[in-house]
Amino acid sequence: MFPIELSEWAALAPVYILVLSAMVLFVFDSINPRTTNRAFLAGTTTAGSLAALAVAVWFLLAGVGTPQADGGFGAISLFDGQLVVDQLALFFIVVVTVVTSLVSIASYDYMKGHTYQAEYYTLTLLAATGMATMAASNSLVTIFIALELASLPSYALVSILKDNRGSIEGGLKYFLIGALSSAIFVYGISLVYGATGFMQLDAIAENLDADYGPLLGLGILMLIGGFAFKTASVPFHFWAPEAYEGAPAPIAAFLSSASKAAGFVIAFRVFTTAFPLEPTASVIGVDWTVAFIILAIVTMTIGNFAAATQTNVKRMLAYSSVGHAGYALIGLAGLGAGANDVVMGAALMHLFVYGFMNTGAFLFVGLAEHWGVGRTFEDYNGLSAKAPIACVAMTVFMFSLAGIPPFGGFFSKYFLFTASIDAGLLFVAAALVINSALSLYYYSRLVKALWIEEPVLERESLSQPVGLYAAIVFAAVMTVVVLPGFGPVADAAVDAAAAVVA
Amino acid sequence: MEEFFTYAPAIALLPLAAFVVALVFGDAMPKKGAIAGIFATAGSLGLSLLMLAAVASGEVHHETYYEWAVGDTAGHTAAEGIAFTFGILIDPLSALMLVIVSLIALLVHVFSLGYMNAEGEKGLPRYYAELGLFTFSMLAFVFADNLLMAFMFFELVGLCSYLLIGFWFRTKSAPSAAKKAFLVTRFGDYFFLVGVVAIGATFGTLAFAGDGSFVAEAEAALDGGETLFGFDAETWITITGLLVLGGVIGKSAQFPLHTWLPDAMEGPTTVSALIHAATMVAAGVYLVARMFGYYALSPSALAIIAFVGGFTALFAATMAVVKDDIKQVLAYSTISQYGYMMLGLGVGGYVAGVFHLMNHAFFKALLFLGAGAVIILMHHEQDMWKMGGLKNKAPVTYYTFLAGALALAGIIPFSGFWSKDEILYDAIILGLESNVFLAAYAMGLLAVFFTGFYTFRMVFLTFHGEPRSDAAEDPHGIGWSVKAPLVVLGVLSLVAGVANLAPVGKLLDLDIMFLEGWLDGEYGGLEELTYGFYGDMLPYETALIGGSEETTLLVAAALSLGLAFSGAGLAWKLYNVPEPTEHTQRLGGARDVLRSNYYQDEVQVWLAEGVTLPVARAADRFDQTVIDGVVNGVSSVSLFGSSWLKRIQTGLVTNYAALLVAGFIGLLLVLGVYGGWFL
Repeated sequence: MFPIELSEWAALAPVYILVLSAMVLFVFDSINPRTTNRAFLAGTTTAGSLAALAVAVWFLLAGVGTPQADGGFGAISLFDGQLVVDQLALFFIVVVTVVTSLVSIASYDYMKGHTYQAEYYTLTLLAATGMATMAASNSLVTIFIALELASLPSYALVSILKDNRGSIEGGLKYFLIGALSSAIFVYGISLVYGATGFMQLDAIAENLDADYGPLLGLGILMLIGGFAFKTASVPFHFWAPEAYEGAPAPIAAFLSSASKAAGFVIAFRVFTTAFPLEPTASVIGVDWTVAFIILAIVTMTIGNFAAATQTNVKRMLAYSSVGHAGYALIGLAGLGAGANDVVMGAALMHLFVYGFMNTGAFLFVGLAEHWGVGRTFEDYNGLSAKAPIACVAMTVFMFSLAGIPPFGGFFSKYFLFTASIDAGLLFVAAALVINSALSLYYYSRLVKALWIEEPVLERESLSQPVGLYAAIVFAAVMTVVVLPGFGPVADAAVDAAAAVVA
Repeated sequence: MEEFFTYAPAIALLPLAAFVVALVFGDAMPKKGAIAGIFATAGSLGLSLLMLAAVASGEVHHETYYEWAVGDTAGHTAAEGIAFTFGILIDPLSALMLVIVSLIALLVHVFSLGYMNAEGEKGLPRYYAELGLFTFSMLAFVFADNLLMAFMFFELVGLCSYLLIGFWFRTKSAPSAAKKAFLVTRFGDYFFLVGVVAIGATFGTLAFAGDGSFVAEAEAALDGGETLFGFDAETWITITGLLVLGGVIGKSAQFPLHTWLPDAMEGPTTVSALIHAATMVAAGVYLVARMFGYYALSPSALAIIAFVGGFTALFAATMAVVKDDIKQVLAYSTISQYGYMMLGLGVGGYVAGVFHLMNHAFFKALLFLGAGAVIILMHHEQDMWKMGGLKNKAPVTYYTFLAGALALAGIIPFSGFWSKDEILYDAIILGLESNVFLAAYAMGLLAVFFTGFYTFRMVFLTFHGEPRSDAAEDPHGIGWSVKAPLVVLGVLSLVAGVANLAPVGKLLDLDIMFLEGWLDGEYGGLEELTYGFYGDMLPYETALIGGSEETTLLVAAALSLGLAFSGAGLAWKLYNVPEPTEHTQRLGGARDVLRSNYYQDEVQVWLAEGVTLPVARAADRFDQTVIDGVVNGVSSVSLFGSSWLKRIQTGLVTNYAALLVAGFIGLLLVLGVYGGWFL
């Protein structure tokens, strides 16, 4: 196949494409500072992320990262192992670029009439670059840099609506909590470096030293704090409800789907590569899975319970996003009990499906904001009469998020459930079921509002912005068709997981 | 002749085809589907006769056709998994029954031409379709080779009777009667189903015959003194046998589940003939005969069967005495006659019970079809007090009906006498040793008197005396399709007894007990399904009057014949007069009790309204308060927890930082203590 003729540096092509697109926008913006050429801006962003997506998918199919024993090219290691392109990295690059393209298409309509258009798209692309780099990072240094590259544009993006108090406030809170979390994270890095003397993940794994057990343990815990911030897991989730609520809806979708997925990929990579379960446990005296079991249960419970009685739809989705982080944490909590690749593969599948259904749900909220119908459940009453297609899509998202059978969300959640039972985590499985049951309550509340309730006020007919509609419908279609297409996705996810858990 | 067995499935499938044809094309066909039904049942009859011939030549057919589920779980005693199959077992018993059922079904179809078509009924395709399905179900039930298949077709038989009883669904009473029949028999079938599951779970097989049949497994368990489900083997066999018997009691209308049968008269009379003679009601008794080997292992179950049978025989006969509707009298007589069969089987008289089942099929079909003919004659009047004098106006109907009546009353030499006498003989030789059987025998014997009385009361009121209404003065004509079945059945009622002239054979020492030989496998059959084999299993002790078989035979026959004659004679005296009057007033208080059927319906309604309804209400209240309360409680707790959790999000970023650090430290403490970092 073709990639064999490319040099090794070409393995990072998706990331380069994202950077290049950002640079194009930079140049365009500096030549023409107050541009409102939305078609060019959104078009470049979309084209860039789609190109990155296409290359990543091509690499996956061509066998980049597939172990050589299976006829692939093996994981490609770059810059002395600071970055690595394997199936896990490519899988998450796919998730990130898919979400980026959906978000940029939707932003074409959403950002109409707003200032800082070029900055908006440039920052989005840079954040996506950071997330894609996170997926490929293989050293604590590159991880930290990539993480900051993803975070700093995000802060700016959340508060980009300068004339909106909520946006500014959410952005500031996000930044403050982010700073605190980064401090904890970087302190954790220094402790791990102190205990092992290495930053590169494989090297850390070879130099786990029993003399510094507690020190290493504290370092690991602080790393977990950093990941918890990025994935919006309890107790580092406090920024999420306000940032998502204040941010432009496409950015909320971007953060809750892509950014969360990127947080998970570094957590998966660090904990499987740098801290293999048994050697680490013998050094620090405790399985680090315990921390993730606690985090998983607490995160899904707090997220879902807090979502249950929200009146604001965006805030409900924000808390539901916290809850879903708890589900995905099962991928780490269930390691060490045999079928590691299946457990982590289930979490990967969930993040993949989540990338569509959650992005779509937030984009629907964006559509509602575009219409100006309001923010609460009541404001959504009877929307189906005016916008049936979008409401069908939203219904698909809601039921898929709740885990109702014909949709993708059911399968990923079902795999998580069986995986946690196989791993012997009955408490986690029980929490998953209880929380899913509770989540059905608030998701179906929204469906009820859309389809059954009578509107409070009479509405004019609603516009049908092409970009938003296209993104929402595409996400809905994907949420449904991953069902027949689940075989390849599941295989890819399990292979990707197997690449790191071995 | 083994190759005939290839066609065995067609016996049941032909009527099924007729069902489809009548349902789909019935409206377009001449006679609205009757022709299809007649050809199908004639085909079934022909094939059944072939089966009979094949079995007579010494062959037996036992084959599994379809295995629709296999379970891994082994039974309590068997080591291998359990398989659920459809299979066919054709042995002497089922071959005989196939002939009976297909013959009666054919005659009923022919009779329907006169009864339904000629009367211009509507919905005939539906009628013939249901008849076809009914016949199919019964035939498949008869040749079923395992208990589960038998159960499935048993249920289908029940469904078909529901449909046919409610054929005139626009009237008020027919749907109600249909529902009653369905519900009451379903109540019994519920126990049957539990019994099927219990037998399957215990023995890991549901097959009637073969090495691994549940009967053989049960016998092995009994011999091995095994403990099954915490009971010793015999107790458990009794329990499961009685559970299956629940279905039998419902279907065969034995006390206390007999109440549906008199109401079932709401269906067309042809349907009644089919239900009473060959299908629905016969299914129960046939099932006992089919798994007789199992009951033979449990003397207690047999004693219960015998006692229930004897009691029902007497109980139903007394109620028949005061009925005015000709079909009602016949309905109660059916209950009573099936009581005799149960009595016969219960006392170990396998041959006697089957013999009576056969004879009854002929004479009861005859009586019902005769009653149908009378109803045609009488322009759909069923009250016997409005009839009279039909003797000369419809001689064919009269003489055939009379033959059936004589058989029913048990008058020598008609068929009913021989089988009833054999049942009573089998009962008395046990009764001389055991009080339970003596009581059962006494009730059966006493019922003979009532049978003679009500039968001839019916005959005299209907056919003798002066016409008591305009319709009786000028009866409607009847055609060949009505007369032909009557004649066939009339002849059979007279001569069917020849199949097993046991008293004559024993007294004169002749080998003329063909049916006994047939069921004993003399002509061919499975060894473990023969009368002789069952006889060896039975633990009964018998005694004879004066120590002599001849004396006992003669005394028993004389007693039953004497009682039958006195019953008939009393009826003669009271009702064979030109202008008969009701004599029921003389019964005093007993009259009301009898006319109200011992208040059985009232008791059952009370059970439903006085017991079941309050229990259901209590359960409903439990559901509404406790269950719903728990569910609602869970949701209120969740919502309360939710609103409480929401408050953590204060909106102040300093609080968030504090909570974040506190949460982190909490996690640190848990892991640190757990991992021993602070030591």
